[in-house]
Amino acid sequence: MTRSSKFRSLAAALGALCVAAACGGGGTTTTSETLAADQTLSFPINDDVGDLDPAHMSAAVDIDLFQNVFSGLYKFDSKLAEVPDIATAPPVISADGLTYTFTMRKDAKFSDGSGIKADDFIFSWNRAARIQGDYASVFEPVVGYDAVAKGTTKTMTGLKKIDDYKFSATLTSPAAYWFTEVGLWTAWVVSEKAIIAGGGDDKWFTDPKYLIGSGQFKMTARTPKQSLDFAPVANWYGGSTGVLQKVHIEVIADQKAQVTKYESGNYSAIGPMNQSLTPEDVIRYNSSPTLKSQLQLLPQARTTWIGFNLKTGPFAGIDAGKAGRHAFSTAVDRDQLVDIACSKGTACFKATGGLITKGLQGYLGDGTNPATKFDPAAALAEYKAWDPTGSKVAGLVYTYNSSAFNKAVCENLVSQWKKNLNVTVQCTAQDRKSFFAARTKCSYPIFRHSWGADYDHPQDWFDFLIVTGAGSGGSCYSNPTVDAMAKDANSKPLAQSLDTYKKMGQIVVDQVIAPELVYGIQQYLVHPYVKGVSGSALYDYRWSEVRILQH
Amino acid sequence: MTRGTISYIGQRLVLIAITTVLVSSIVFLLLHQIPGNAFLNETRTSAESLAANLHHYGLDLPLPQQYANWVTGVLHGDLGESLVNRGVQITPLLIREASVSATVGFYALLITIGLGLFLGIFAALRQNTWVDYVASSASVVGYSIPSFVLAIFGLLIFGHFFYIWTGGAFYYVPGWGKLEQVPVPALALGLPYASYVARLTRASMLETIRTDYVRTAWAKGLKSRVVVLRHALRNALIPVVTILGPLITGIITGSVVIENIFGIPGLGKEFVQSILGRDYNIVIGVFTFYAALVGLANLLVDVIYPILDPRIRY
Repeated sequence: MTRSSKFRSLAAALGALCVAAACGGGGTTTTSETLAADQTLSFPINDDVGDLDPAHMSAAVDIDLFQNVFSGLYKFDSKLAEVPDIATAPPVISADGLTYTFTMRKDAKFSDGSGIKADDFIFSWNRAARIQGDYASVFEPVVGYDAVAKGTTKTMTGLKKIDDYKFSATLTSPAAYWFTEVGLWTAWVVSEKAIIAGGGDDKWFTDPKYLIGSGQFKMTARTPKQSLDFAPVANWYGGSTGVLQKVHIEVIADQKAQVTKYESGNYSAIGPMNQSLTPEDVIRYNSSPTLKSQLQLLPQARTTWIGFNLKTGPFAGIDAGKAGRHAFSTAVDRDQLVDIACSKGTACFKATGGLITKGLQGYLGDGTNPATKFDPAAALAEYKAWDPTGSKVAGLVYTYNSSAFNKAVCENLVSQWKKNLNVTVQCTAQDRKSFFAARTKCSYPIFRHSWGADYDHPQDWFDFLIVTGAGSGGSCYSNPTVDAMAKDANSKPLAQSLDTYKKMGQIVVDQVIAPELVYGIQQYLVHPYVKGVSGSALYDYRWSEVRILQH
Repeated sequence: MTRGTISYIGQRLVLIAITTVLVSSIVFLLLHQIPGNAFLNETRTSAESLAANLHHYGLDLPLPQQYANWVTGVLHGDLGESLVNRGVQITPLLIREASVSATVGFYALLITIGLGLFLGIFAALRQNTWVDYVASSASVVGYSIPSFVLAIFGLLIFGHFFYIWTGGAFYYVPGWGKLEQVPVPALALGLPYASYVARLTRASMLETIRTDYVRTAWAKGLKSRVVVLRHALRNALIPVVTILGPLITGIITGSVVIENIFGIPGLGKEFVQSILGRDYNIVIGVFTFYAALVGLANLLVDVIYPILDPRIRY
């Protein structure tokens, strides 16, 4: 089964309602379509963009937006396959897996008309490593990264210009996943000339005049925390930029107000840039025969699971706490959880196939995690055997970062644990920043955890969540076997390492380290006359796909 | 304006400056004790990138030095840069948002004073009549209902029951400043205080209209409008003006709640978001701004006293 068909069957299983054309990934204008005179795409976002500089970006909102303004050697298509963008072909990789040689197209240009050469990429990548944004570690495998990261030098010695349109990157050790990372935003090309003219690293992106990229669109105006405007780049080197004349984005925090404006025709869509609808609205649209066609519910590369502290507390110890973790997981009826916390399955769906989200590389398969099978009687027996007096979980607190969804999940989990295990667990909400600060230090015995994939490669899950010292783990899990497997798998092409990654996933499942609860759904609300607004499991489709039909 | 008044204003301005500095210092210190920082997210943030971010914004410096840097910036009219929305300068942002808050606050104050005085005067002049009973009862009810409850009622009535009329989004149209966006939030903010002003005005007016000089004015055959507005009201206003300072403070702090309920893009909304996002610079900036504003509002009230009552001298 291809990834595309996996997604489609998943959508069907969910009862997801995709307009056929939109789910197909947009497409080009057909002769049967009559375009509206005003080709303005407008949509709201809850909060303003955080970063406009690719070297700093990390939020999905920013990346979904600026993939239209910037570009790199490679990009991900609607099926998440990595395809050449400014590169002419996949890199030539040396036999030892250490040197990647990239060849660029010669006609690539920035939006100010200046040509893009190998030096521009070398500058951009060195700059990203030097600035040390959240995703600077994309360049960690490159020789010389550590020195740049520490600030002792400004250039990675592993980057070598071969000619104006060809350069190479040498890695310290084989890292086959690195090619996937080269498709990320951190590796997008930026214009040194624009950065200097715009006032340097900290200022250039604040003025649309200097926010120069190589994508199909350019920013024309921005009022912080209020609105952003974009227009297609005239004579874009890559060919057509589609039919849109303008993209207008408004910052409106209130989701109800967003829907009201959408319904009065002021917005083309809601959902682009990783936005969501209120539970009431998504259920209203999903349950109405007349409105249903405007709603797209697509699988999103995000998994939410129960986080357990493997270091301290009642669930500590890979073996010692396993029965407790297993009982707590199997005592949860995920169907009920989805119905209540996922707005009747419109915001997320039941997870049963491991930590990696369904549809992504490394997914273990439906129903492969026994710990997700609801069995209250067995759970109670297992729990009683593990904690006969109830002393281990006395006063247990489940902590989550404050949000309506997390609250609903917690309340449902707590009620099910009470009902099925007769265990009283208390819900505690914390603000995001306090929660992440404490979770990073493995401070909670049991907690909410979630991960949205950055790209479709299992390394993105294991390196940052599972291996010893993983920065985003929160559970302090440490297993030398898994660490060794990860090191080996990371060095090999995915075709050769996928089995190893799946074995690692199976270990995580068998040891009940991160029992998954739900996988995410991305919601798009789109007027029938707006075509091409949709997305893959990771990104929105680019604006060049969008057309506004006469209405 | 006498030399004494100028000297008094000068002293008060110095005190306001000291208070503002003290408030910002306390906020600065407390804020840095809250766990977490603006750069913690559910992404693959590494220790190195976190350190780089902290260093970039000078957050790895000792607190006194950070504070000194901030004060230096403030003295140059620069409140710094947002930590959450990189590159966004705080000073112009706060000025823009303050103008939004000021619009709502201004109308709320108009409602507070205008409606409060109107009800209070009429209730006093028609003491023990149905007008007095209605006005007094309305004041008690109005004062008993907090702003945020009124705001929710406003949302329910104008955003739901009158949906066809308002489109549900009467206060949300981007590009704040349209008149139709203001009344409901301003009413929610101003009505409880208007009720308080009404009660105070009524009591003050009742006391004043029984004084000898008002009786003399009636006896002289002056028109009732002149007696009430020129003779009685002027003196009756003094207690009302006394509470204007706290009222303005209440409106400023109340706007934090009201702006968040109505989604108004003002200082109050920014204040809450920036605390949750650990956007230290904005939080301190807003706090400092509020502290200065409250100080200036109280000073304004003190300056109005001698105008109403020439016996008061500074």
